[in-house]
Amino acid sequence: MRPLTPAFATEPVLPRGVAARGPAALPRWARREWPAAAAAAFLALLVVLAAGAPWLAPYPYDRQDLDHALQGPERLHWLGTDQYGRDLLTRVLHGARISLTVGFAAVTAESVIGVAWGTLAGFYGGAADAALMRVVDLLIAFPSLLLAVLVTGIFGPSLVNIVAALTMTAWPAMARTVRSEVVALREREYIEAARAIGAGPGRLFRRHLVPNAMHLVAARATLDVSALVLTEATLSFIGIGVQPPRPSWGLMINESFQFLQSHPYLVIVPAAALSLTVIALNVLGEALAERLDPRLGGQRG
Amino acid sequence: MLRYLAYRVALTAPLLLGTALLIFLAGHYAPGDPVQVLLADHYTPEGAAHLRHELGLDRPLAAQFAGYIGRAARFDFGASYVNPARPVAEIVRQTLPVSLRLAALAVAAAALAGTALGVCAAVFERSAADRLIQLGVIAGLSVPSFVVAAVLVLLFALRWRLFPVAGWGHPSDYVLPVAVLAAAPLAYVTRISRASVRRALAEDYVRTARSKGLRRSAILARHVLRNAALPIVTTIGMAFGYAITGAFVVEVIFNIPGMARVAVDAILQRDYSVIQTAVLVYTAIFTFVNLAVDVSYAALNPRIRY
Repeated sequence: MRPLTPAFATEPVLPRGVAARGPAALPRWARREWPAAAAAAFLALLVVLAAGAPWLAPYPYDRQDLDHALQGPERLHWLGTDQYGRDLLTRVLHGARISLTVGFAAVTAESVIGVAWGTLAGFYGGAADAALMRVVDLLIAFPSLLLAVLVTGIFGPSLVNIVAALTMTAWPAMARTVRSEVVALREREYIEAARAIGAGPGRLFRRHLVPNAMHLVAARATLDVSALVLTEATLSFIGIGVQPPRPSWGLMINESFQFLQSHPYLVIVPAAALSLTVIALNVLGEALAERLDPRLGGQRG
Repeated sequence: MLRYLAYRVALTAPLLLGTALLIFLAGHYAPGDPVQVLLADHYTPEGAAHLRHELGLDRPLAAQFAGYIGRAARFDFGASYVNPARPVAEIVRQTLPVSLRLAALAVAAAALAGTALGVCAAVFERSAADRLIQLGVIAGLSVPSFVVAAVLVLLFALRWRLFPVAGWGHPSDYVLPVAVLAAAPLAYVTRISRASVRRALAEDYVRTARSKGLRRSAILARHVLRNAALPIVTTIGMAFGYAITGAFVVEVIFNIPGMARVAVDAILQRDYSVIQTAVLVYTAIFTFVNLAVDVSYAALNPRIRY
């Protein structure tokens, strides 16, 4: 028997109210799901600040001024300065830039690999599927931070290697999600019809299978960004992530940890920025997952 | 059941061998020449060639790998490149138990408190307590462990001076590291046990029990918890994963002589023999944890038969 068409597969990607009543319903959606709306607003602001950091920030991120080290907030330095007299506000803004760049680069890479891997496994089935998915099972069993530490440990810390390590931690789960969807899609009538008029595997992938799994990929990817940003910060905190003098939130916390007693704001400011970002990504991701992929949303309830 | 067990155990040997091959090849092709690191300022081409020969790095790759596996099987991992007086096996013997003890304490704390909080949240669903616990779960899963550590150190060690800032040896040294390690698994266990109990509470047999007049506590103990236990038990493996990886942060912050700190130091110093062994040890730990989780799942759930 053919599987029944799940209702969510044909639903529009936008929140239901918005799609039905046009953009005028956006405030209503924002009121009903205010945590997700607040998270989205915060993240939008953060992206603007991060993108504009080189122009918005009052100083270059590595400009030292040892005569004005460890100063509290004042007119010239709104958030004060660190132990080398570097402007804290500048470094937090540039830290956002690094964190988001690394996060988005890794989520793009892991999505591409995961979608390709999952589509191939799900479409061909049989021995190919078994072999491809054994690799996924193997990698998924490892905690992601451990995998990231080991990869950067073997290849050494650099921005490219950090992105590669983060990609390693996330793509297996993406592949598993996509595969399960493709296995269900493969049996659908329109795929059979496309095949009947002579569509090859390449065309089926590009035109039918991948586009129809896209809503799952979007939901999964949003949740993944928060995990990836968190892992980057942790790697940098341990000292095997982003290297000084480049600012990363994790690295800033590491460098200022010894001043926790005398100048706690040096730790609190980047820690708050990091925590708020990860929480916002989680809240938005779960709201999206509930909309776009009832299975993901339900699991996390 | 026995056949499944045999199959799962048989699977671990090729897995470990494959991992060993992978890290061996990666180490060979990775940037950063160990000989250069070892000689540092005393680098001369002749000295490098001599050391390369002494370490066996000039032999064919296959011979190097075979030798490596043969020695690893006898738990001989060679000497640390950076600190040649110390055999890597001895480093592991001294530091791994520290990490494992910390992880075990954290998992035990997280499992007990997490189950209690999760059951409480599910029983009093939609109450203020439930909402508070839910909020705590999101925070626990989102806030990085080094931020948790910073806050705890700031309050409990620096402000109120209840526990030491860092150090190792005294029992009070354990409190803050274990608390930091337990934070994320606690949130995770709470979330899973809340969902699991909630699902069990909605079952028909609970309604039957209630309609025949059984007291709430009896329903909870006899029907709900027993049926909700399975998913909770399997979270312990995951919690162990959080606790072992959290050690990379906690051991660095609190200056604890554990395996994770050894691994981080080795990575920073490119001490390749130690890095290689650490990767192997962690792979072995997680292979066995996953094996234990799978087998216990099969053993606990009568509906699963392999």
